[in-house]
Amino acid sequence: MKSFQYLAPIPRFDYAAPRTFSDLFDILEVHGRGAAIIAGGTDLTIALKERTTSPKVVVDLRHLRGELGGISVARGTLRIGALATFSELETNPLVGRYANALREASANIGTLQIRTIATLGGNLATASPAADSAPPLIALGANVAVRSRSSERTVPVQDIFAGPKRNALQGGEVITAVEIPADAEVRSVWTRAAVRNENVLSAVSVAVAAKVHGRKFGPSRIALGAVAPTPILAETASEAMTGSRAAAEQAEKVAALAAEDARPISDIRASARYRKHLVHVLTRRLIMQVLSEAGMP
Amino acid sequence: MKLSFRLNGAKRNDDIEPNQTLCDYLHDIAGTTGVKKGCDTGECGACTVLLDGMPVTSCLVLAPQVDGREVVTVEGLGKKSDPNPVQRAFVEHDAVQCGYCIPGMIVTLSWIREHAPEASDVEIKRLMSGNLCRCTGYQQQIDALKTAMGASSRSP
Repeated sequence: MKSFQYLAPIPRFDYAAPRTFSDLFDILEVHGRGAAIIAGGTDLTIALKERTTSPKVVVDLRHLRGELGGISVARGTLRIGALATFSELETNPLVGRYANALREASANIGTLQIRTIATLGGNLATASPAADSAPPLIALGANVAVRSRSSERTVPVQDIFAGPKRNALQGGEVITAVEIPADAEVRSVWTRAAVRNENVLSAVSVAVAAKVHGRKFGPSRIALGAVAPTPILAETASEAMTGSRAAAEQAEKVAALAAEDARPISDIRASARYRKHLVHVLTRRLIMQVLSEAGMP
Repeated sequence: MKLSFRLNGAKRNDDIEPNQTLCDYLHDIAGTTGVKKGCDTGECGACTVLLDGMPVTSCLVLAPQVDGREVVTVEGLGKKSDPNPVQRAFVEHDAVQCGYCIPGMIVTLSWIREHAPEASDVEIKRLMSGNLCRCTGYQQQIDALKTAMGASSRSP
């Protein structure tokens, strides 16, 4: 079993830390599926120990930080480099201003010792249905910038998730950045339920991003984590909220729809039924928080 | 492969196998045995070290990742003859029982003392949640940290 595997050394691999994208793409081309990319490494080292991956070569991105790091705003877009760590996201003022839900989730991921080294790009590439960065990014309408030797493309963040622990990257592609519309009028909040407060995977996580215009909600998006094979946009709930009256009764209606949008399974962290209940409660709580921050009764 | 980095202030050059964690390398090869392997899955924090000044669980870092970088273990924070303020306060508060978690705990709390000197009790608990102690219940260690924080504000 897993614990027994830990007694044996990790199987051998070669290690490369390319200094240019050209060298990176050469390595990815030569080794194909035999290459594993390492950013922070908090997921990959576990996978190596558990033998869920056994690469021929581990490719370290750290010398490419010039292009894969940094957090900046330009032309109405908040750009977060793939190598930004959760500690950086937790403390960066631009993230606080334009992506509060992401800041909140980042401050709760793992532990201090994980957040200092785990990266946003790595969290997305691992593609866990419970990835806590995903609901904020989906709610905020973020895109993921992906690059290969010959092309660059951007995809909506939910489309980077292909299935549980399966990403939608093609061979030879790397995530370079996450791009979020930088609109300070968007209020975004995140919360989760888990068996402990810290150092634990979410049983359910929810993010809401919305504008409040006068007595109505403007464009609104609700996203859910750990209640489907991938993090999802709660489509019917988001549509129902957009343009509706900004009031407590509406929060209840939208939250009920979000619970219907969830397609959870039962596992060690929660039953399917309890997860739907949690989606309902947490979504309502977040919408009430948006209302209260907007000064609505 | 060649591994070249600074460990507790001193330059190290080694020829290593890449398929090992920083935790195993530090404990078994570099001889910094204050680095303890507990869970080996990043949950318990006994293997915490500073990498470029930031706390990491060294069991989730591959040794080759630290090439060209700076690592500080508990050995680099203070000596028996010259303990750092957190180490001194741990003795004063009897914050140690079996001791296995303590080196990692000292690394994290020394970082908190330096980087979050105004932290509230709630914030201290959030920041130290990655260091599990199954003996003490944490109160003595939080008390020790607060003593160390107070001591640092009295003597700048």
